[in-house]
Parts: sequence; structure tokens; C-alpha cells
Amino acid sequence: MKLRVAAAPHLVTRESTRMLMLDVLIALLPTTAAGIYLFGLRAAWVLCASVVAAVVSEFLWQKLMKRPVRVGDLSAVVTGLILGLNLPSTVPLWIPVLGSAMAIILVKELFGGIGHNFMNPAMFARAFLLASFPARMIVFALPERLLGASQALSGVDAVASATPLVMQGNWSYMDLLLGNIPGTIGEVSKIAILIGFLYLLFVGTIRWEIPVLFAGSTALLSWIVGADPLAAVLSGGVLFGAVFMATDYATSPVYTAGKCIYAIGCGIMVVVIRQYGNYPEGVTFAILLMNCVTPLLDRFTVRRVYGTVKKHA
Amino acid sequence: MPKKNSMRSIFLNGVLTENPTFRLVLGTCPAIAVTTNAMNGVGMGIATTFVLLGSNIVISMLRNFIPNKVRIPAFVVVICTFVTIIQLMMQAFVPALYDALGIFLPLIVVNCIILARAEAFACKNGVLASAVDGLGMGVGFTLALILIGGIREVLGAGTFLGMNVLGAGFEPVLLMILPPGGFIVYGLALGIINAIGNRRSKVTAAGKEGVQA
Amino acid sequence: MRKYTFGGGIHPLSDKHEGKAPTRMREITDFAPDQVTIPMDMHLGAPSVPIVAKGDYVKLGQVIATAAGPRGIPVHASVSGTVSDVGLRQLAGRVPSMTIVIDNDHKDDWVELTKVGGVEDAPKDQIIPAIQQAGICGLGGACFPTHAKMIIPEGKHVDTLIINGAECETFLTSDFRLMVEHPERIIQGTRLAMRAMDIDRAIIGIEDNKPEAIEAMSKAVHGHQGIEVAVLKTKYPQGGERYIISALLKREVPSGGLPLDVHVVVLNVGTVAAISDAVLEGSPLITRIVTVTGVVQNPSNLRVRVGTSIKDAVEFCGGYTEPPARIFYGGSMTGIAVPEDSFPITKANNGVVVLGEKQVTDYKESPCIRCGRCVRACPTRLNPFQIKDVLDNMDDLDGAEKLHITDCCVCGACSYVCPARRTLSASIKAGRDVILARRMAK
Repeated sequence: MKLRVAAAPHLVTRESTRMLMLDVLIALLPTTAAGIYLFGLRAAWVLCASVVAAVVSEFLWQKLMKRPVRVGDLSAVVTGLILGLNLPSTVPLWIPVLGSAMAIILVKELFGGIGHNFMNPAMFARAFLLASFPARMIVFALPERLLGASQALSGVDAVASATPLVMQGNWSYMDLLLGNIPGTIGEVSKIAILIGFLYLLFVGTIRWEIPVLFAGSTALLSWIVGADPLAAVLSGGVLFGAVFMATDYATSPVYTAGKCIYAIGCGIMVVVIRQYGNYPEGVTFAILLMNCVTPLLDRFTVRRVYGTVKKHA
Repeated sequence: MPKKNSMRSIFLNGVLTENPTFRLVLGTCPAIAVTTNAMNGVGMGIATTFVLLGSNIVISMLRNFIPNKVRIPAFVVVICTFVTIIQLMMQAFVPALYDALGIFLPLIVVNCIILARAEAFACKNGVLASAVDGLGMGVGFTLALILIGGIREVLGAGTFLGMNVLGAGFEPVLLMILPPGGFIVYGLALGIINAIGNRRSKVTAAGKEGVQA
Repeated sequence: MRKYTFGGGIHPLSDKHEGKAPTRMREITDFAPDQVTIPMDMHLGAPSVPIVAKGDYVKLGQVIATAAGPRGIPVHASVSGTVSDVGLRQLAGRVPSMTIVIDNDHKDDWVELTKVGGVEDAPKDQIIPAIQQAGICGLGGACFPTHAKMIIPEGKHVDTLIINGAECETFLTSDFRLMVEHPERIIQGTRLAMRAMDIDRAIIGIEDNKPEAIEAMSKAVHGHQGIEVAVLKTKYPQGGERYIISALLKREVPSGGLPLDVHVVVLNVGTVAAISDAVLEGSPLITRIVTVTGVVQNPSNLRVRVGTSIKDAVEFCGGYTEPPARIFYGGSMTGIAVPEDSFPITKANNGVVVLGEKQVTDYKESPCIRCGRCVRACPTRLNPFQIKDVLDNMDDLDGAEKLHITDCCVCGACSYVCPARRTLSASIKAGRDVILARRMAK
């Protein structure tokens, strides 16, 4: 008989990196579907371009650098999809392609590959695109449902429109929730995001602390500065960012205490940027800034090891 | 070794082997800040070269007279002199470039390249060698700035030295002419050049070993 | 009933009842093979010294090897018969073990046994020596000489005795069956241990996936002052010494210290049952209950003679149902895999698990994604991925020491939960062993 000797444990969990990524993709399905329903086939093309570019970039880079090709773990697909969902549906297709390539090569692969990115790759790409092509990135299409009405009136295909953040008070809560508002493909339908959030909680891919505390602190601080807390959370990219972007494993703290501080920090930054900054939306930079603070949080929220006394700071 | 070869090697040292921007990683502040287009890069490079040449020559001439303990302040005085000269000249003859470079012109005083070469070379070597070293370093710096500035200008504005090179259909990547673009281009250029340099030196070392064996 | 628990931990194979379903309801069956191979180094500490030679006839329970020092224990013949070999064999340890092979004549010709006394009247000062002479070591897997654990050094006092009935490892049901079938021996042994160490309070901790054992033991403690049954939440590694203490008493064993430092002694249920046999009947430790399970015809809880080969035990259970791909002692979380089934079952082994080809997966490591599952699983509150990173990528032993690598109990929980299939536990163990050896050398 041929017995194979190996170190314990001999049986491990069935969960794998690929399965985790697959769960994220499943959680993103409602948002993707809602985005395509609201913004039409254009949105689908943007998403496709983004995903394909991400996978191809990772594949080519790893082949070029003679590293093991890891596109099978689906993390590039996730990055590509999330980036695509962060873009307006009106962008020309070279924008998601460029963004995905930047995200994968610059932020992820150059720094060591999966698990080593110091910033959320999709978030960086969005910031990069925002700074590089501002005109393209702030043109949002009206959802087709509403488009039908205005098209009948004036015969146009897409309307350059500002998001609810800029035109506060013009939309009802129901519109904000369902996504009948202009915005990026993924951020508009809050219902879809919430469904995805519940799924991720259920299968244990993410924990509740970051999304809940991020959204909560955004609401609380918005209320303190005098804005409508519910509208603040339901406008812009707060929910999408809180559920899908701030929770990225490599760029959020490992320990629960750190996660909480990080989430609250994100909320604070969002409100500060929205209120006092030049941009109408603060989520992108809030998350990027807190990503950079994560290693510090990991150092200072280390748990006391069993059997030791609490260390001084 | 004949003097000519030695001078040549000193010169090429400054341009290639010990390129201040990509090898010594000195003078990175202007390398990122002023390279929003290639022209600015050229202007800054020439100004710095002038100062390097002047300060290296003078410091080399005075190297036996400056007491060791006060050498740094002494060097800075010399460098300041030449910076002031080039500043006044640029203000007079190329005011547009003078405005474009802004505060980075007087900041040449604290450009690490100049002080580093004064400390590492000029105060230990003869006048001609120091002059050649200053020239080499300056040329190396200028070429580096043109490279970075050129990439940023082409990608960020579609032009090179003011001339449109990518046509009307090109949408410029605005980030490239903003500070983050500077960091990204500099970083990537640094990485690529060093990777190529490392591979070449491995080949050279292997070749040398082969010869010896 | 109140359920106690500790921080961290995991639920391995929870959808398959921790692998215990095949053997839970199988009563303990005795088995004596035709030949036993008894190693001299079954217990922690210096190996015992053989005092018999090839060709000698030995009786059942006869001393065949003496203790190597005051902290060592003797080894007894687990069968009566002729010694067929005394020599070195490469077994599961790092160096070859001295072993004594005896051919069983199946007569079970016992040596004369001397009782020490009854539960309440056996002289206190004779209990611990009797435990040493019976060759008793921790039967929960560590196999530390029990008498050495029970001698309380000057200046320390113990206020609680914890009897470990957690059996948190996957696949194992030996302690469970012992509790269900022989609760009175466990109680007797507990009382003897309490008397020997002057302890007034004993808690028997049992996980809640063993309701039958909880019932049996609760009935048995009835009327015994000072002994109580406490229910523990089923979680791995609840049976770890430090975690059963923190769960039941909310005390933490200091880093680098012993349970003695928090006034506790922990003994396994099998160990105290053996104590009862040693004192009340004078019989030495020559059998132990082992769970034989996996791809065998009849998974069972066998009471085997020490030194029975895995092959013989499996044959008694009806043989393999398919060609085995991996066989390991103990449970799947910390079990040691063996290269051949000729290896013996020793005092330290509480299980033999045979896995078939389909169940054994050679996992390929992929990069760490910083998900933090290992961090949340670790009962010692370490950061396993960080320690492995420091060891692998930086060869930094000092850095690993600063991260408290020496506190790792090698439970394997981190490796179990890792989605990237990283060999966290094995790497940390290897690094830890090097660091401990380095410390000893200084």
C-alpha cells in the first residue's frame, strides 16, 4: 500500500479563495442586473470591457513576469466588475479598459499580487480615471425608465445629469432606494446592494462591522452637519463602497477593533469631503485614505495573546 | 590611463552609470515637480547644469582653502551665488520659463545633486575633472527630466515640446500632468531603468568571468 | 444547563458530526493481537530502559522496562508470552525508538497484583507512587507521566482538579464511550486524585455533543461531595488544557507557564480511570481505548493491548473497505500520519483514522489574501498569517518570537480555516521547534 504522509490537519475547510470570490460575484449579481436594467445595454458593455481587461491584464502580466498565473482565483474578475460598476454608463469603452489595467498592474501586481495591494485596486482606478478624464466621469445617464419620459419630450438619448448629491431634494427616498436616479452603474440601486450585503453576511464572506459602521457613521455625521442622514447614506456611493469596497480583505484591518475604527474613519472622511471638499462625492477618497491607515490600525489593535499581560502602547 | 579616457568616463558616469535621477535618486523634488512638460524639464536641466558646472569648478579651485569643518556652509554660499546668477539671467531673457519653473528655480540651491557632487567629487578632485563631472551630472539630470517630462507631456497633453504628436482624437490623461502622475511616471521609469541596468550588469559580470576563466 | 466556552476556535467537520457518527454508538470491544511491539518512548521524557531480553518469557503486566529517572515511568508487558525481539525501530518519532516485541500466547497469565486500597481508605501517600509504578501517563494524547504532574511543588497550591472529558478532536469517541460505559471508574479515579493532591473540588468538563456522557456522568457524581459535571460548548480545541481551564474557571495559564500557576491540575478521563485501576486493583496500564474509524469495515472503539499494530486493529475491525491513502493517529486536526500500517498503537494514541483516496486532497498553497479567518480561529489570539510570513519570507526567528510563536498550541485551527490552503500550523510548528531548541541551547 502507498500511504501518503503529510502534516496535520488532514482535512480542512471546503472554502477556497475561488469560492470566496465567487460569493462576491454572486452578491454583485443583483447590483449588476439592476444597473443593466436601469441604464441599458451600454452598461453591460462597460462591465464586460472592465472585466475582460482586468483578467487579460493580470494574465499577460503574470505571464510576462514568469509568475504563476492566478486568474483562476477570480479576484481579477471581481476587481474588474467592481470597477465597472463604479463608472457611469456613458463612458467610452477604453476608459474601463485603461482603468482595469491600471488597477491590476499598478496597484495589485506591482506590489506583490493578491493580498498585497495597499489600496483597493478598483477604487484607485476610479480615482485615477476621475482625475484623468473628469469630463467623461461626471456625465451620468438618466435611467432608461425616466429616460423614456424625457425622450418623448425632447428626443435625446442620454442626459448629462448630476447625481442626487448635487441636486438634493429633487428625488424621493423610493427613487434613491430603487435607483431611479443618475449615478454610476452599480451605486444607484440600494435595494440590490442590500440584497448582496445580506448574502455576503449569510455565507460569511464579510463581517457586519465595516458596512454597518461605515454607513452608520456617515448617517450620524451627516445629521450633525445638518444634512438628511437617510438621504446621505442613500445617495452617492456610500452603500456600494461600504459593502463591496471598504470590506476588501487586503486593505482593511484584520482585527475587529481596527475594523470598527476604520469604518468610522471612512464615514468621517466621506462627510468631511462632501461638506468641505471640492468633490460632491467623498467615498472614493475616504476609502483610499483609510486604506493607507490600515497598517497602522493593524499595529495598534493587536489583541492580547492568551497568557500574557496587556502590552503598553 | 590617458587623461582623455578618464574625462570621458567621468562624463559618462554622470550621464549613465551614476545618473543622478535614476541611479543616485537625488534631486527627485524637481524631477517630479517641474516635469509637467518636456520644455520645463529642459529649462530646469540647463539651469541646474549651469549651477553644477559653476559650483564644481569654484569649489574645486578652493578645495585646499576651505576648512573641513565649515565646508558645507561654504559650498552652499558658492552654490547660492550661481543660482542667483542663473535666476537673474532667466528672469531677464526667458521670463515665461522663469514663471513656469517658479519656486523650483531658487530651490536648486538645496538640490541634493549639487551638494552631493561638491562633497563627493569637487572637493577631492582637480578643476577639469570636477567640471567634467558637473557637466556629466547636469546632462544626465537634464536627459532624465526630458524623459519624465516628455512622457508626462505626451500622455497628459498629447504634445511634446509644445508640438501636437498624438493627433486630435487623443484624450489626454490629465492625471499625468498632476503630481500623482509625476510620482507614477518617475517610479515606473526608475523601476524599468534599474531592471534593465541590473540585467546588463549581470551580463557584463558573467562576460568578465568568462574572460577570466 | 449553563454551557462554558473559550474565545476563538472552530467547528471542524461540523456538517458531519465531527466525523464521530460511525463510532459513537459502538460499545467498547476488547482486542488482543498475536504480537505487540511496545516502544520505550511512549511517554514524554527520557525513554524507559528495557530489562528483558530476547527469548525471555514475560507474564501479563510484568515490568519489562524501568523508568529512566524520577520523572519517568516503567513499561509493562501488555500480553503474556515470549519476547521475540528487543531493538531499535524507526517509528513516528524523529529518532528510532527502542522497542520490545512480544509474541502473545493468549493465556493472559497475569503477574501478581497488589491493591493499594479502596477509594476512601487507600493511604494518601501511596497513591502517587502507585500511579508511577502502574506506568500511567496522560491518555488524552500528550502522554506526560501523570505522577510527575500530580506532585505539587513546594510553594504552589491547587484548588481545582479538572477532568477533561471534552474530546474535541474530530473522529474520536474513545473518551465518550468510556464516560458512557464506565462512569464509576472515572469518579473513583477522580476521588483518588483529589485525595492524593488534597484538592476539594473537581469539575468534569464534557462537550455538549455528548449528551449521553453528560447524563451518565451526572448520575455517577451524585452523592460525591466536591465533584461536579460542567457542560462545554462543542468547539475545537476545547479539550486543550489551557482552554478548558479558561472556559471553566476563567483563568488564563500564563505564557510559558503551567496550569499549576493558576492552581489547577487537568487530567484526562481515561487517565483517571487508569488511576482507579492502579490503586483499586493494582493493575498497570497495559490497555487503552482507541477509536478505529474511516474506511474500515466496522469502525469501532477498541480496548487494545499497548503495542497492537494498526494493521491488526484494522483487521479486527473487518479490514479496509478500500485501499488506504492516509492513516493517522488521533484526530484529523493534529493527527500524525504514518507511512506503514505496521506501526504500533501506543499509550499516547487515542485514535486510528484511515482515509481513502477520495478523501485525501493534496492541497496546493496559494497566496495569503489577508482574510483574517486564521486570526479569528486562533484560541491563543495569535496572528498566524503574520507569523508564517515572518518565518517564510524573512527567516526572522526573533521576529517570530516577538509575535509569541512559542505560545502556539499547534491545534491546527488556522490551517483548517484558511481558504488559500496555507500550511500555517505546520510552518509555525517548525519555526517554534527551532526557536525552542535555540532557547534550550543557550
